[in-house]
Amino acid sequence: MTTTRRNLFKLTGGAAVGAMLTPAPWRLITDSALWSENWPGIPRPRRGEVTFQFGNCSLCPAGCAVRARCVANQPVSLAGVAAHPLSHGALCAFGIAGHHLPYHPGRLKSGPAAEANQAVRAALGQLRGAERCAVLDLRPGRTASWTYRRAMAAIRNGVYLAPAAPIAINLAAAKTVFSLGAPLFDGWGTPGNVIAARDHFRLIQAEPVESRTAIMADLWLPIRPGSEEALALGIANLLLKEKKIAGLPAGFADRLREFPPTMAAMHSGIGEQQIAALARELQDNGPVLVLGENGSPYAAALNLILGAPGRTLVLRREAPVPDDWKKAAPVADLASVPDGSIRVLLIDESATGEALPWSAIQSKLAEKAVVVTFAWSKEGYGRQAAFTLPTAVYPESLDDIPPAVDSPAAAFRLSAAWVAPPDGVVNPADFVAGLAGLAAKDALQERAAAIRKSGRGSLFVPSSATSTPARDVKPDDFWKMLQAGATWIDDLDANAPAPKLDVPALPAGTASSAFPLVVVVTEPDTPALVSPLLSKVYQESNLRLAPESVALHPSDARACGLETGSRARLETDCGSVAVNVTVDSDVPPGVVQVAGGPGIRKICGASSRARVVRS
Amino acid sequence: MTNPNKPVKAARYGMAIDIDRCTGCGACMVACAVENNVPPAHAGANDRKGITWIRVYKVDNGGDGDGRRSAFVPVLCQQCGNETPCVHVCPQQAVDVDPATGIVGQMPERCLGCRYCMAACPYHARYFNWWDPAWPAGMEKTFNPDVAPRMRGVVEKCNFCHGRWHAARQQATAEGKPDTEPVAYLPACAEACPTQAISFGDLNDEAGVTAAAARGRDSFRLLEKLDTDPKIHYISKREWVRRIADAPRPGDGKESRRG
Repeated sequence: MTTTRRNLFKLTGGAAVGAMLTPAPWRLITDSALWSENWPGIPRPRRGEVTFQFGNCSLCPAGCAVRARCVANQPVSLAGVAAHPLSHGALCAFGIAGHHLPYHPGRLKSGPAAEANQAVRAALGQLRGAERCAVLDLRPGRTASWTYRRAMAAIRNGVYLAPAAPIAINLAAAKTVFSLGAPLFDGWGTPGNVIAARDHFRLIQAEPVESRTAIMADLWLPIRPGSEEALALGIANLLLKEKKIAGLPAGFADRLREFPPTMAAMHSGIGEQQIAALARELQDNGPVLVLGENGSPYAAALNLILGAPGRTLVLRREAPVPDDWKKAAPVADLASVPDGSIRVLLIDESATGEALPWSAIQSKLAEKAVVVTFAWSKEGYGRQAAFTLPTAVYPESLDDIPPAVDSPAAAFRLSAAWVAPPDGVVNPADFVAGLAGLAAKDALQERAAAIRKSGRGSLFVPSSATSTPARDVKPDDFWKMLQAGATWIDDLDANAPAPKLDVPALPAGTASSAFPLVVVVTEPDTPALVSPLLSKVYQESNLRLAPESVALHPSDARACGLETGSRARLETDCGSVAVNVTVDSDVPPGVVQVAGGPGIRKICGASSRARVVRS
Repeated sequence: MTNPNKPVKAARYGMAIDIDRCTGCGACMVACAVENNVPPAHAGANDRKGITWIRVYKVDNGGDGDGRRSAFVPVLCQQCGNETPCVHVCPQQAVDVDPATGIVGQMPERCLGCRYCMAACPYHARYFNWWDPAWPAGMEKTFNPDVAPRMRGVVEKCNFCHGRWHAARQQATAEGKPDTEPVAYLPACAEACPTQAISFGDLNDEAGVTAAAARGRDSFRLLEKLDTDPKIHYISKREWVRRIADAPRPGDGKESRRG
């Protein structure tokens, strides 16, 4: 065979075609990633000018100060503000990834706003006799809350409903903190404030499971499940031997007689001598703060006996509001509303706060009631409401964040609004104000002006880490600085009287064979949506129980026919919710350890006992 | 890249982690994932197949009831300085130790996914991309532009936020500082830790807070007996915590799925 030019071309062409049928060229294309880092299918980060912006996190009532690193005005990472006087630079895992929420697949972006408006207006026009229009505000104390109150004052039979605000706590004044299962180091108050105060108090944690707070405590008392009441009454018995206290609720003396220290020791599994030593320590090492589940009458009673009001429990002034706002509807408790009387119920759950069981709400609804909820997702009351209207998520809207429970002074700060919300979202305050014909678009600015006018407090500016007396800041600058992430903090009122501490009525015994397990909440309340990256602490490491999950001791799990990964229903006397089950020998027998998701919060609010049923 | 012809005052970046201050909140894990564009979990991911460059483990003293005590231990790449196991086994030279910083670098572009390094790492601090990384639509807008996302089939691990180190290096250069001097910066986990349990710095800087903490009486390192010279120092006043670092308790068959 002679080598001709034609044969050479044939060979070259054939080789080229043959090579295309081998993996080599395709592999080469893939390997171009070696030089380009440009893998096909992998999204590329955007480029742009890097800037820093300041704001406040509105995912929970703590309202921690946030510094956002932005690329082309898009936040790409969030961090705390170290010098901040309230949050001290701390930001929790939810807050660190809060800038992902606008892209959460579960968020609502549009809803039947026009239909809801029409239905509400029609129902308002048909209100009969004592039928009411009510707003249920899950995070009271905001400027939006004032708008609701003003609107309800203007609407016939308008009622403003909100959970009772807890008395403010001055953690810095406490020398001993006795916690009956309160999650002091896991979602309670302002995380940075708790950590900053930690070195100055001794922490005694009484809890059946070794929670994060129990691990961080100076003394962990592993009590038997459901025996917090017995332990508190045993201690109260010893303390009341030496002094008489007024203000304890009716029936308290009877209950005290039921739980002398011997009985308290038997129920709680803590030795009688240790209970006596604990009572002595609380008596001698004050000021003392006793923390319990929200609204716990036993914690309140111990606080009263130990003289906490005026020392660790303080009266906090509210941030000033414009004078013409004060003709507003009073704050009412849901329990005070007659059953079957609410014809129109508007629920603002866009700001995470204390959740009420749906069963408690349902009993108040009239026949043909119209329920509208404003929410980030369908997971909350959206399951029951006729209309679920989407709201802006963090960090899309400007809203104020009322002071957290551990803030002894009033504060005014605005949530971050770094990302434009979708067109279909509704502003709940504007919706409600529209029903009453109120103009509330500039309510935040009006309130800021009232605060500045009062001349009280100081303004902390995060960009310069400085505090300036509010009266020294020009009115226009005051508003601009607030929008740029500044925090107004009120002066402490040195002449403030001690707060009046109401000890709630003692609950009836809840032990029941129908609900054999004691509920122990060991995870913080999660916002309605969390960043998908929280999978790092849930699914990818099992560091935390994921929302809507429960953990059971192997013996309890076997009794219920459950294993890790099973789907089940958690049932309490307030309702039931679907949960994932984890079997964990660290959970004591007789306990169902739950993680606070939007569903669980609504059924475990008033109940401490439950059962888990395979679904 | 450090110029090899210039005399470099080598840094030895490391951490001192105070276990007694760690609440196990997981903020470091989330901050790390945000900073380094680590994707959310695939539906099939679990605690063995997930990607967590820093992972907080819950450990206990083995006691029951009243005697039980637990602690949280954040574990990340220990940046071994001596006979670095992953460097030795990598057939692709995709792992190296930067002499200027002491940081063990991972080059996912070179990685062929053999996972020898994962088998060699005594700290289980390396993670394999079992699936194509995927983010919810729109979330790619929140990517950190200093870090390239990785693809399926490669190994990745903590690099002390190398993007931040580069940024600090560039800042120092812009300020006219010599590029032979170590720069000060904070990795995302140290910045995020709400209790300030994680201290980061140059261990060669004897006056530095981190180096001082690392020299402290209560300081220890994980599996020190392997002589890998890890640059992560842990601190605990509790003796049982210090003990578990050297002789981990073998699995006791508990049905625990957490921590």
